[in-house]
Amino acid sequence: MNERSISVRNGRFEVDVLEGGSGDPLLFLHGVFGLEWTPLLERLSLGHTVVAPRTPGFGESTGTENLDDIHDLVFFYLDLLDELDLSHLPLVGHSLGGMFAAELAATQPERFSHVALASPFGLWDNADPVTDLFTISLPDLAKAMYANEKSEAAVAVATAPQARMTEVDPETDEGQATINYLVERAKSMSTAAKYLWPIPNRGLVKRLHRVRQPGLVIWGESDGIVPPVYAERFAAQMPNAVVHIVPDAAHMVVDEQPDHVAGLIEDLLAR
Amino acid sequence: MKIEMFHLCPYRDLPEDFREKYRSVWVDVPRHLFDGEIAARTYNQTLDELKYAAEMGYDGICVNEHHQNAYGLMPSPNIMAAIMSRETEDVAIIVMGNSIALYDPPIRVAEEFAMLDCISGGRLVAGFPVGSAMDTAFGYGANPATLREKYAEAEELILRAWEEDEVFSFDGKYTQLRYVNLWPRPLQKPRPPIWVPGAGSIETWNNCIEKGHLYAYLSYSGFKRGKQVMDGFWKVARAAGVDNPYHAGFLQLVCVADNEQELHDKYAAHTEYFFNKMLHIYPGFADPPGYRTIDTIKAGLMAQTTSFGRAGEGESTFDELREAGNVVAGTPQQVANQLEQVIKDLRIGHLMILNQFGSIPHELAKENIRRTAQEVVPQLRHLWPEYEDHWWPQNAIVRDSVEATAD
Repeated sequence: MNERSISVRNGRFEVDVLEGGSGDPLLFLHGVFGLEWTPLLERLSLGHTVVAPRTPGFGESTGTENLDDIHDLVFFYLDLLDELDLSHLPLVGHSLGGMFAAELAATQPERFSHVALASPFGLWDNADPVTDLFTISLPDLAKAMYANEKSEAAVAVATAPQARMTEVDPETDEGQATINYLVERAKSMSTAAKYLWPIPNRGLVKRLHRVRQPGLVIWGESDGIVPPVYAERFAAQMPNAVVHIVPDAAHMVVDEQPDHVAGLIEDLLAR
Repeated sequence: MKIEMFHLCPYRDLPEDFREKYRSVWVDVPRHLFDGEIAARTYNQTLDELKYAAEMGYDGICVNEHHQNAYGLMPSPNIMAAIMSRETEDVAIIVMGNSIALYDPPIRVAEEFAMLDCISGGRLVAGFPVGSAMDTAFGYGANPATLREKYAEAEELILRAWEEDEVFSFDGKYTQLRYVNLWPRPLQKPRPPIWVPGAGSIETWNNCIEKGHLYAYLSYSGFKRGKQVMDGFWKVARAAGVDNPYHAGFLQLVCVADNEQELHDKYAAHTEYFFNKMLHIYPGFADPPGYRTIDTIKAGLMAQTTSFGRAGEGESTFDELREAGNVVAGTPQQVANQLEQVIKDLRIGHLMILNQFGSIPHELAKENIRRTAQEVVPQLRHLWPEYEDHWWPQNAIVRDSVEATAD
C-alpha cells in the first residue's frame, strides 16, 4: 500500500490517498470513523488497484473549511477524480462514505460502472430514526458499531478518552497522544456534522433513482447506528441494486466481515 | 464598580428524585414534569424579583436566553426585558442576551433590541452570546461546527444595521438581504453597549478584545476556577493594550444571613438543588463536535475550565460548594469581604449576582435580594475609581465613582 498526497484546486485541498494492488482501479470511500488500510481493502487489492482517499477534515487531509454542504463535497470529489484521471470504475462506500458514494453516483452515473453501499447514511424515516451519533455514550457507541462488543475494536471504542472527562498532562507522551486523539476526533466529527447534523438527510431520496448501475446494498444485521431496515429503502430507489444482510456484523460490517463483504463486491463486479 | 442582579428564572419545583430518575435538565428533560400553573407563578415571581432588585438599589438587572430546559425558563428574554423596561425607572436592562446565530434573519435581534432600547429610554445592554451547546446545537438544531462563523456574520450584520446611515445590501453566506434598513433604530448612539457572555473559549476572548465588547464569564465553577479563565482573558487583553476592569464581568451566586445556622437552614437545600439538579446535564449534550474549537479543546484539556455547568460531575453539598467558591455565603460583612477579593482577583468592573437560584422561594429570594443590595452592594461600589466604564448604557443610573482618570 502506498500513501500519497494529491493537491486539488491549486492546493485548496491536500488529500491523502491510500493506494494498493494492481489491475483496474476501484474507488473506496471511508466511513464516519475514518480511513485505514483494512483487511477488506487488502483483499480487494488482490484483483484491483484500490484507491482510497481520505475525506478533507479527516486525518491530514485539508480543505474541509472550503466545504459547507453535501453539494460542495460532491464537486470536491469530482475534482479529485479528475485530478486522478479516474472514470468508468467501481465505487464502494461505507457509512458516511456510502452516502457520498450514492451522491456521486447520482450526480455522474456514467462515471461509475458499479456501486456498492455498505451501511450508508443519507435516508431518514421518522419511524426508524438513525442513532444520534453525536450524543451517544462511548459504551453504547461500541455496541452500535460492532456485533461483538467484546472484540478488541469494540473495547477500544468503549474505553476511548473523552474531551470533557479527561485531564491530561501535555508534558508526557501519553498526554500528547490523548490530546492528538481528541483533536482528531473533534476535527473529523465536526466534519461529519456538516453532512449529518442534526438529521442525516440532505435530500438524497430525491436523487437516488439516478444510481442505476449494477448496485449492491450491504448491511450488518445488527447495525445499531443506521438500522438495517434502511437497506430495502435504499434498494427501492436504486433500479439495479440487490440487498445483502450480513450476519455477525453491525455498522462496521466492512471490518467485521471483510471476506464476506469482499465476496459480495466481487460478485457485483461480475454482473 | 457596578453590581447587577442576574435572574435565570429557573423551574423551582423539580421532583426530589430528579437526578436519579432522569438524565438531563436540558434538551430531553421530560415534558410531563412541566406544570403550567407552576410556570405561571414562576414567571410572575421572577418579574417581581427583578423589579424588587431595581428598587433595592442594584445598578442593573440581567435576564438571558435558554431553550428546552428547566434550568432557565426564558427562551425569549426580550419579553421579560420589555416588561422591566416599563416597570423600572433607571436601572440598566441587561439582556444577556440573544443568541444571534439562531435567528434567521438575525436582523430580528437588531430590531427587538432597538425596540427595547427605545422603550427603556436608552437603558439597554445588548448581549450577544454564542449560546450553550444545549440551546444552540440541540434546542435549535444549529450545526455546532458552523455556529461561530454564523455568529460572526450575524454580529457584523446587526452592528452595521445599527450604525450605518444609508440603506445597504448584505450578501452573507448565511443571510442575504437586498435592503437593510432598520426601523426602529436604537436610542443610544451609535448603539447600546455589547456584552458577550462566555464560558471560557479563547475565540470569545479574542472577539471581545478586538471589537471592544465587554466579556462576561458566566459559569458556575466558582471564583477559584473563574480566576484561571479571567487570567487567560487578561493575558490576551493586556497583549492588546487593554486593562480596564470594566471590560469584564463575572457571575457569582450569593446568599446572605446573620449566622451559620441561618445560612444552612435557609439556603443549603436550595443551593444543592441548583448544583445537583439545574446543572444535571447529560454529557452528550454538552460538547457536540465543532462546538468548541480545536484551540479551546487543547487549552481546556489542560485547565478544565471550559465546561458549562457540571455535566458528568457528582453531587455536591452546600459546604463543599462554599469551599470551592461556587457560592459566596455568609454574613453581609463576610460576603462583602469575599466579593471584594473576587473583584480584585478577577479584575472585573461588573459583578452579576444571582440572589434567586435553584429552588429559593419567592419570599426568601426577596430577603436575599434586599439584604445583598442594601448591606453588601454599597460596600463594593468604591472599587476601580480610576477607571471609566465605557460599557454602561447612556441613560442608565450611575452610582459608582465618576472621577475616572484612566481608560
